[in-house]
Amino acid sequence: MKIKVTKENCTGCKLCLQICTITHKHEINPKMAAITIDAHFPEPGTFEPRLCVQCGACAQACPVDAIHLEGDAYVIDEDECTNCEICVDACPIGVMFTHPDAPTPIKCDLCLKCTEVCNTSALTVVE
Amino acid sequence: MDGFGGTTLRINLATGEIKRTPTDPAFAREWMGARGFVSKLLYDEVPRDADPLGPDNIFIVAPGVMTGSFSPVGSKIGFGCISPATNGHADSSMGGHLGPELKYAGYDLIVLEKIAPEAQYLYIDNDTVELRSADKYWGMGSIDLEKRMKDDLGEDFQIATIGPAGENGIVFSCITHDFGRQAGRCGVGAVMGSKRIKAIAVRGTKSLPAHDLDAMTKLTCDIIERTKTHPNMAPWQKYGTAFFVGWSNERGCFPTKNFQKTYHEDWKKIDGERLVEECLVTHKACFGCWMNCGKYSRARIPGKPDTYVEGPEYETIALVGGSCAFTNIHHVAYANYLLDNLGMDTMSGGSTIAFAMECYQRGIITKDDLEGNELRWGNIDDFEHFLRMIAARRGIGDVFARGTKGAAESLGQDTIAFASQAKGMEFSGYDTRWYPAQLLSYCTSDIGAHHNRSWTITTDIELGRENYKGKAPVVVYLQHIRPLFDTWSCCRLFWGELDVTPEEHVETIRHLTGWDVTLDECFLVSEKIWNLNRAHYLERNGGPGRKHDVAPARHLSEPVPDGPAEGHTVGAENFEAMLDEYYAARGWDRDGNPTREVLDVLGIGFAADDLEKIGLLGKPLPGGIPKVRGQKLKPKAM
Amino acid sequence: MVLYLRSGGKLRDKLQPDVDHYTRRVEVESGQTIREILGVLGIDEGFVAFAFAEGKFRRLDYRPHEEEVVTLQPPVSGG
Repeated sequence: MKIKVTKENCTGCKLCLQICTITHKHEINPKMAAITIDAHFPEPGTFEPRLCVQCGACAQACPVDAIHLEGDAYVIDEDECTNCEICVDACPIGVMFTHPDAPTPIKCDLCLKCTEVCNTSALTVVE
Repeated sequence: MDGFGGTTLRINLATGEIKRTPTDPAFAREWMGARGFVSKLLYDEVPRDADPLGPDNIFIVAPGVMTGSFSPVGSKIGFGCISPATNGHADSSMGGHLGPELKYAGYDLIVLEKIAPEAQYLYIDNDTVELRSADKYWGMGSIDLEKRMKDDLGEDFQIATIGPAGENGIVFSCITHDFGRQAGRCGVGAVMGSKRIKAIAVRGTKSLPAHDLDAMTKLTCDIIERTKTHPNMAPWQKYGTAFFVGWSNERGCFPTKNFQKTYHEDWKKIDGERLVEECLVTHKACFGCWMNCGKYSRARIPGKPDTYVEGPEYETIALVGGSCAFTNIHHVAYANYLLDNLGMDTMSGGSTIAFAMECYQRGIITKDDLEGNELRWGNIDDFEHFLRMIAARRGIGDVFARGTKGAAESLGQDTIAFASQAKGMEFSGYDTRWYPAQLLSYCTSDIGAHHNRSWTITTDIELGRENYKGKAPVVVYLQHIRPLFDTWSCCRLFWGELDVTPEEHVETIRHLTGWDVTLDECFLVSEKIWNLNRAHYLERNGGPGRKHDVAPARHLSEPVPDGPAEGHTVGAENFEAMLDEYYAARGWDRDGNPTREVLDVLGIGFAADDLEKIGLLGKPLPGGIPKVRGQKLKPKAM
Repeated sequence: MVLYLRSGGKLRDKLQPDVDHYTRRVEVESGQTIREILGVLGIDEGFVAFAFAEGKFRRLDYRPHEEEVVTLQPPVSGG
């Protein structure tokens, strides 16, 4: 199971960022989400949602073995994580996020809440 | 403080002093945000004789209670000041992402006082607040500058800018954000420019505290799920507001050639279908919105560079496209871009140029006034040349930089008769000659003519377009409910389009803040704001109130020449009768002055004292004031 | 022929849905336009900004086909 991104459908509303942080951090704070949307304006006028593709590079790089495959998602064990941010540098597509108030890096765990709120099918679930 | 960032900023631009205080919970509860904050602060702080573009006006940046929350849809932010267009209370709101960002940085309200000694911008990065030099940015276009500042500061800053028009005090200057969202009306951009503030850049990474996040999340997720299948969702997402162009023409209310006509023969060349087929680049939403009415478009005109802009939406198509008689959607989109980048409201800007085009048609202005150019209907080159004359205040451009009312006063020759404005603000994109309640709405509005306060085209149809009685209480009701969304600082369209109820909005606020607030209380807040703004307007402009609630002669006595509304006009007698009914419905006297009884009921007895001192307090009504002011229109049974 | 009309807002009150919250099943003559169908239902076309069917904008002279689902979009002041 994966989240498919269809960037042409994205309207930049950030509803996905909102529900992501509410779900995982119990906070209203889109800057703490495991998704980001790059906006390319005024030209060419496109949105580009970016999030983890579950490649596992972070798990391989983690010096304390705090990132494990659970089902289809690599998940950070917050008790084990030392917040050294080596995984952030190791991520090949820049979707291991950090936030000053978060105790660990932030990554997608495939909870799929973002796909539930997205109303333009920019984020959808595929097997 | 649940639902709020927690901090209020007060900045003296002359001295550079920046004061932070905790946001007052009682003030927030009483006035709720945005429009409410603006109304009270302006009333309390601005001397009644202050020049709107002088040092004693204040410039307020105010998100509201719902801004930045997970709700339908807290995307908005308000700007407030005394308006240079109307010399009264001004509040103008916009969506996008700036308001939420400001709340995430921790701020609920920013008051800018006095005038900066040099061009500056306000820089906010969480707890860091600085006035920085804007020397290198002064003179730049709004959209160009937003891009430049994102390059300079970082993509994760949200930025609001003014263009050259705001710098030069054009009274219909706007504030632009997110490459095409505007706080367009009331000339808020001119006041920002008068303060020498070129931009506001904000980054916020904090959390917004919520009283009961789980309950708010459940409610909002349920609303999202329910509205996804609402019949209006798909058409709205695909076409946005531009699709009402055809309907408006067929109803005979589409402003054409400066409201000389109300039907544009070529409307099919500039409607939403043309826009989506020929110009659409991407659908674009404000923060947290799942119905994306924004249509980001590209204009392609041979001999001109391609331009990108969010829009044109309905109002721009009506007041630029229809009123200036364009017949090509690319020309409308290009004009939209020009107005945005120069920093002018497309509504009042379009209307002012249409007014100038009629002056040219009548020979009141000539090529000699236009640097040898013409100003022909539907000609994009003429439009562009004249627009740039206004933005730079060159020659006769300086006259039209004052808006239609200001220009008419300067031009004389009874041009005021065809300036479609109320209190100095230009009409929205709906002609009123077959829609009398809309005329009443424009002429009684607290900020001048604006559909956002009361829009009654379908009410007029429902109650009969030739009827005048019984409509005023509906206008009063609409003047309370529609601006309520600007007070909560959320988008009105979830109510208007998707049947999200006002009660659900109030429930969201309860979960967010912990307030035991009710919808009835919110209506009273909205009515309180309305009455306070009225008192403030009278204190600044004299009275009686009735003398300000005047309709342009064209809309009272010039029958529509052709089209679906052919032959219709409102008539002065009918309009005055509607005003009588309106004042009674508000609990004001026949002179249009608020009575002590109504001001007391609303908890603003201080305004009654102030009005009494200058002899403008309404005389007590023999039967007392109505228990409920304003009345919801009940749909007729079929 | 049978047709399904959908509507929300105030227009929903006028449509009087019977299939689900938004939808009304109507039987009309083949080849009738939306405008004519509104006339039969007694709905003033002033309350219908446009129709929307098969993902596209349709003017009121559009002739729906058998079993088509047509959304009637009410006007809303915008912008």
